[in-house]
Amino acid sequence: MVFPAKYPSLNAMEMTEEARQTLIRVVRVAFPHECVPDGPYERTADKILTEAQNETWFRVALTQGLLSLNQLAGGDFQDLDDEAALRVLRRVEGTEFFGFVRRTTVLNLYDDDEVWAALGYEGASFDQGGYINRGFNDLDWLPDPRIDYPEGEQLPEIAPGALDVPSPAVESGGGEDSTNQPGATSSDMEEVKK
Amino acid sequence: MTASVTGCSIDQDEEAIVIIGSGAGGGTLAHELTSKGIPVVVLEAGPYLAHDDYVNNEWESFNQMAWLDPRTTSGSWRIARDFPNLPAWLVKAVGGTTTHWSGATPRFKAHEFKTRSVYGRVEGANLLDWPIGIEDLAPYYDRAEKAMGSTHVHGRPPLPANNNYKVFANGAEKVGYKFYATGPYATNAEEYDGRPASIQDGFNFQGDKNKSKWSILVREMPRAEKTGLLDLRPRSQAVQVTHDAEGRADAVLYLDKDGNLHRQAAKLVCLAGNSIETPRLLLLSGTPRFPDGLANSSGQVGRNYMRHLTGTVWGYFDKPVRMYRGETMAGVISDESTHDPDRGFAGGYYMETISLGPAFMAAFVEPGAWGPDFTSLLDSYTNSAGMWIVGEDMPQETNRVTLNTNAKDENGLPVPNVHYDDHPNDIAMREHAYAAGEKVYQAVGAQGTHRTAPYPSTHNLGTARMSERPEDGVVDKWGRTHDVPNLFISDGSVFTTGAAANPTLTIVALAIRQAEYIADQLKTQQI
Ligand SMILES: Cc1cc2nc3c(=O)[nH]c(=O)nc-3n(C[C@H](O)[C@H](O)[C@H](O)COP(=O)(O)OP(=O)(O)OC[C@H]3O[C@@H](n4cnc5c(N)ncnc54)[C@H](O)[C@@H]3O)c2cc1C
Repeated sequence: MVFPAKYPSLNAMEMTEEARQTLIRVVRVAFPHECVPDGPYERTADKILTEAQNETWFRVALTQGLLSLNQLAGGDFQDLDDEAALRVLRRVEGTEFFGFVRRTTVLNLYDDDEVWAALGYEGASFDQGGYINRGFNDLDWLPDPRIDYPEGEQLPEIAPGALDVPSPAVESGGGEDSTNQPGATSSDMEEVKK
Repeated sequence: MTASVTGCSIDQDEEAIVIIGSGAGGGTLAHELTSKGIPVVVLEAGPYLAHDDYVNNEWESFNQMAWLDPRTTSGSWRIARDFPNLPAWLVKAVGGTTTHWSGATPRFKAHEFKTRSVYGRVEGANLLDWPIGIEDLAPYYDRAEKAMGSTHVHGRPPLPANNNYKVFANGAEKVGYKFYATGPYATNAEEYDGRPASIQDGFNFQGDKNKSKWSILVREMPRAEKTGLLDLRPRSQAVQVTHDAEGRADAVLYLDKDGNLHRQAAKLVCLAGNSIETPRLLLLSGTPRFPDGLANSSGQVGRNYMRHLTGTVWGYFDKPVRMYRGETMAGVISDESTHDPDRGFAGGYYMETISLGPAFMAAFVEPGAWGPDFTSLLDSYTNSAGMWIVGEDMPQETNRVTLNTNAKDENGLPVPNVHYDDHPNDIAMREHAYAAGEKVYQAVGAQGTHRTAPYPSTHNLGTARMSERPEDGVVDKWGRTHDVPNLFISDGSVFTTGAAANPTLTIVALAIRQAEYIADQLKTQQI
């Protein structure tokens, strides 16, 4: 891939179509869903490009990141199969570039009608009257459970015998003393050493 | 001229009763006081959103409602890594976080007011008994439950079982739990208090456009407004409580939406900004007389920050669940909420159903993750069931809200830093709860399960705690600060310890009780 930006001036950067395609591939390899069509991946990549447009640091990181992918791929990142591409991404996982791509993808890919449909989520429901008549309780592979507490029974608040136990098992050691909670240092039961 | 959006406008020079924050605590107090004929000014940092403004979309709604002003974090909790600038998930709008909340309303248990006595000394924890007990709060719990329309109590019918609950309850039954049900939950199963029954739309975190869920916005605010005694000023953020030569609070300085500073004279100030902004405001109000912050002679302001244990367990099945259909949190298992030190920790926890849409699921299920392992969690979306764990975390002096003077918000004020380390008791309880949750789902045939780390804190407590003695805490048993006689704290900051229960019912009960006390003190001119 040539330099991912169209113009030599980074401030007026517009990504080449090739760079955009690489980015789409990155998003798909990093967040693979067989059920999700191309549209959401393309929209997510475009969102990443827009955000990079607005932030110098992201712009620099993205340009650098796309170049390094090709270097690590020993050619064109887009030519790698899924597994090889995933390996390359694991190697850039800690970079600013990848962090930016990951965060932006998590926030946008899954806020998309088409992805919701693919995952089986139905989106807004109030305008359709909620689910009261549209299957809020249509699960039929388990019996209908009771919805009230067992009649005439009270949950014991404290386990029998708990009050006879001086204090719970967990002791962290250290910790500051305070007026109401004297710590170990003010205990006179320390082991005596000569 | 004040920016009141109600018919009532109180002069800025008139010494008013000023309530800061309009959430569970502040909103309840405003309603109770105005209904007793006492006029109040409510300063609310956020806008006045209405139910028509709410949207059925997780991020859009979050950006509309949430408190997004910068905050910082430190400590070994995972939040500091996963969400370093979002320690808490809170609302900045009229009605506060009750507009976002889901509605679970368990009460405290008797011993949860007395944990220092009952749990004994827990190394590293700053346990203290509350200066009040269940007997003091019981009548106010009744009133709060009636106000909020909690199901399962006072004749309110339970909500029906939705899909997520069917999996949860069947699993509970199979592992031998007994005390599971669809509530108590402050959302109408049938019409009540002028509000309709739930239509099970699944967008209760997003404000609940149907108004079936109790919130300050649907109930207390409109009622307070009707008295003609409520001066409500949205987009008015308090930045300092000032005091006179005698050390009594005498005014509140606040910023309007354009960043202009105003002064509202006060005869009484009630602070209810939730447990991060409340201590922040006290710390921002330091003077030569109160060098460590207002009402901070104990040094406890901002300390003992609690956020409940929390964690989420997802179960993945080979058949559809569609957990997102229906009420988000209408399901609770109480069996593990007892105190049973044989489990290896003090205190208890509840399991409650929870559901997220794909957008929030992707952001929260495994923060920072990507690749095929991550996407397979989302591929199972339709067949997922979810439960949230909420249990008592230990108060620790070093878990605290402080001012971070290296970072400023848009008004140029130091941002709050939230420091938190899990206590070993918290870790032991969370492990136990994760395992218990997995068993519930495995009992009904889960093919897999996943443990999700705590979300940004939705329950924020303890930073101005109640204590018998002034040296142990910030407020007395009425929520009145030990140091400043006409300054009250009216939100979850006053919790001496956190109990296992979700906090809002208790915040509302305490506010109703405090309102009676304040009204009485005003009548007898003791304030
Ligand atoms: C998603 C979600 C689900 C939840 N579910 C439950 C549940 O099921 N059960 C339960 O018990 N609890 C639940 N909660 C928690 C519940 O919302 C809180 O416990 C409760 O709202 C806290 O009440 P509060 O009065 O302390 O503060 P809030 O309700 O947060 O109100 C504080 C208000 O003060 C305003 N404010 C802050 N600082 C200033 C300032 N300086 N000047 C002016 N105004 C200011 C804020 O903008 C806000 O409106 C949930 C919370 C979330 C986020």
